[in-house]
Amino acid sequence: MIRYLIKNNLKLMLRNKWTIAVMILGPVFVTALLSSAFEDLMASYEATEEFQVGYRMEEESNLKDSIEVIKEAGKESGISFVEYPGGKIKELMEHNDLAGFVEIGRENYTVYESADYVTEGITLEYFLNRCMKEGTWQALKETIPSLEEENTALPVQKIDYLPAVEAKDYYGIIEIVYFCWMCVVCLSNVLTGEKKNGIERKYQVTNLSGIKLYFSKWLPIVIATTAEMAVSVTVTIVLFDIHWGNLLPSAGILLLLIMASAAFGLMLYYLFKNLAVTVIVLFTAVWFMGFFGGSFETYMFSSTPDVLKNSSPIYHVNRTLVEYSCMGHSGYTNSCIFYMLAMILICSCIAILVDGVRKRGRA
Amino acid sequence: MSDIILKTKDLTKKYQNKVVVDGLNLEIRKGEIFGLLGPNGAGKSTTMNMVCSIVRPTAGTVELLGKNPWKQKKDVIHKIGYIPQELAIHGNLKAWENVELFTSLYGIKGETLKKTVEESLAYVGLLEKRNEFAKNFSGGMKRRLNIACAIGHNPDLLIFDEPTVGIDPQSRNFILEKIKESNQKGATVIYTSHYMEEVEAICSRIAIMDNGKVIACGTSEELKKMVTNGSDDISLEEVFLTLTGKSLRDFSN
Repeated sequence: MIRYLIKNNLKLMLRNKWTIAVMILGPVFVTALLSSAFEDLMASYEATEEFQVGYRMEEESNLKDSIEVIKEAGKESGISFVEYPGGKIKELMEHNDLAGFVEIGRENYTVYESADYVTEGITLEYFLNRCMKEGTWQALKETIPSLEEENTALPVQKIDYLPAVEAKDYYGIIEIVYFCWMCVVCLSNVLTGEKKNGIERKYQVTNLSGIKLYFSKWLPIVIATTAEMAVSVTVTIVLFDIHWGNLLPSAGILLLLIMASAAFGLMLYYLFKNLAVTVIVLFTAVWFMGFFGGSFETYMFSSTPDVLKNSSPIYHVNRTLVEYSCMGHSGYTNSCIFYMLAMILICSCIAILVDGVRKRGRA
Repeated sequence: MSDIILKTKDLTKKYQNKVVVDGLNLEIRKGEIFGLLGPNGAGKSTTMNMVCSIVRPTAGTVELLGKNPWKQKKDVIHKIGYIPQELAIHGNLKAWENVELFTSLYGIKGETLKKTVEESLAYVGLLEKRNEFAKNFSGGMKRRLNIACAIGHNPDLLIFDEPTVGIDPQSRNFILEKIKESNQKGATVIYTSHYMEEVEAICSRIAIMDNGKVIACGTSEELKKMVTNGSDDISLEEVFLTLTGKSLRDFSN
C-alpha cells in the first residue's frame, strides 16, 4: 500500500531541483574551499621530519615490557625515543633539543611539549594516544614485520603509522559525511506540501499506520540522498582526485550513515512539526557533532577531549572513512556501525512514538 | 438493516475551555444529500473531522454504518471519501500521480489502480489534463482534482467540506452536478457550505449549526416554515440569518 506513497514522495523529492543542487554541489564547493584552506596546515603535519623525544619510566610501570615495541613503532612514525633516567625534564629538553618528553608512571604517563615544537608535540600526543588505546596483533605485525609474537604481551594492542592523509582526501570525505546529515532537507517539498495543504489530515482518513507513514518518508530520503551523494562523490573524485581507499566498505558506511541521518532528521521533524525549526536544530546539532568530530579541524590534531570526540557519531564515521582512505582498514568500523544502527533504531522509535502520542493528543 | 449511515450521540468537542461542538445529535440516512450550514466557527468542520476520525471527540459517540470509526477504524474508514476544505493535493505531482497516490492508500493497486485513476479523472473532467502538474491548474481544476483524489475507492459516504470555495460558476455548477450524480449512484453525501443556494439546490435535508449545536434540521421547506409560521415565501439565507443572527462571527482556531 505504501509503495505508491514512497514512489510519489520520491518523485516530489527529485523534482525539487534546489535541494538536489545543494546536496550535490554543496560537498564539492566546501571540499574545494576547506581543502585549499587547510592544505598548508595539513602538509606541515605530514612534512614533520623525524624528531627526538625523551622519556623516563618508573621501575614498576605497566608499560615496561612494551617500551621497545613503542620505540620501534615510534621510529616508523618518525619519533625517536631516547631514555633519560635522571635530571630535570625542562633542562633535559632545552639542552638536548627534545621536541617532547614522556614521563611514564605506573599506570599513567605525562607528556611535556616544547613551545618550539608545537606540531611535533601534537603528533607525539596522537601517537601515544593510539598506542595506548587501539588495536590488534595483526596491525602491530603489519607495522613492525620483524616483531615476534612473544613481544606482544603488553597493553599496547595496535600501533599503526600515523595516517598521512592529504587535505583534499580528508575534506573530500568529511564533507560528504557532513552533507549526508542534512538529508532530511531533501524531503522539504513533501513535508511542506503535506502540512500546508492538510494532506497529513487526509492520511488520517485512511488505514495508513504511523509506522507505514514514517517509512514512506524515511525510505525516499535514503534513496534520494544515496543517489545524490553517489553523484557528489563521483564529482569530487573526478575534480579533486579524492582517494576513498576501501571503496566497498566506505559505501556501506555511507549508506548506514544516510539511513541514520534520515532517521535523526525525521525524528526532529516529528518532534517539532515545523520544518524551519527542524532545520535550525538539525544544523546546530550537526555543527556541534562535526566540531567535536573533526568536520572542520582535523580530528587527528584537534585538542577536543577524547570523551567529547567519542560521543559524536560524526567522529566515528569520519574516522572510519578517513582511515579506510589512508590505511585501508579502521579500528573504528565496529563502533561506527553500532552508532549508526543505534541511531536508526532509537530515532525511528522516537519519531513513531511521538507521532502516535501527538495524534492521540490532538484528539 | 438500519438505513442510518451516520449517527452522532451527544457528540462534544472541547479545546481547553472552549466548547466547539456541544452535544450534537445527528442522524443521516443512506442515500440522502445532507447539508450542514452554519456561520464560521459553528463547529461544522470539527464535526466532520470527528466523523472522519481526524479529531477524537471529548464526549459522545459517532456511529458510521453501525461502527465506531475510532475503535473500528479499519472496518469503516475505507467507506468514507473525505474532500477537505484545503486543496489536499501536491502541486509538484501530476494530476494522475495525485489521484494514484491517494487512491492507493485504500489498498487499490496494479491495473485496477490504473483504471480507477483514469475513471476518477474522467469523472471530474480532468482526463485530458492528467499529465499536467497540479500547481499549474486553476482554482476550479484543483477543486475537481481534490474530489478525484477522494472518490477512487468508491466510498459509501462522501463528505464535502466547502468544496466550492473560490471557484468560478462553471466549476461550481460542474461540482454540484457531480455530487448529485454520485448520490444517484448510491453514495450518501454530507455537504457543508456557506452558499445557501447550493445547499438548497442539492440537499434533501439541511441542518443549521450555531455555537456547536444544531439549532434547526429538516428539508428546505420545513426550515422556511419554521421561521415564518407556515409560509415558505422566504429564502434559505433569510432563514439562516433569522436563526443565527446578523452579528459578525469573528473566530480564530
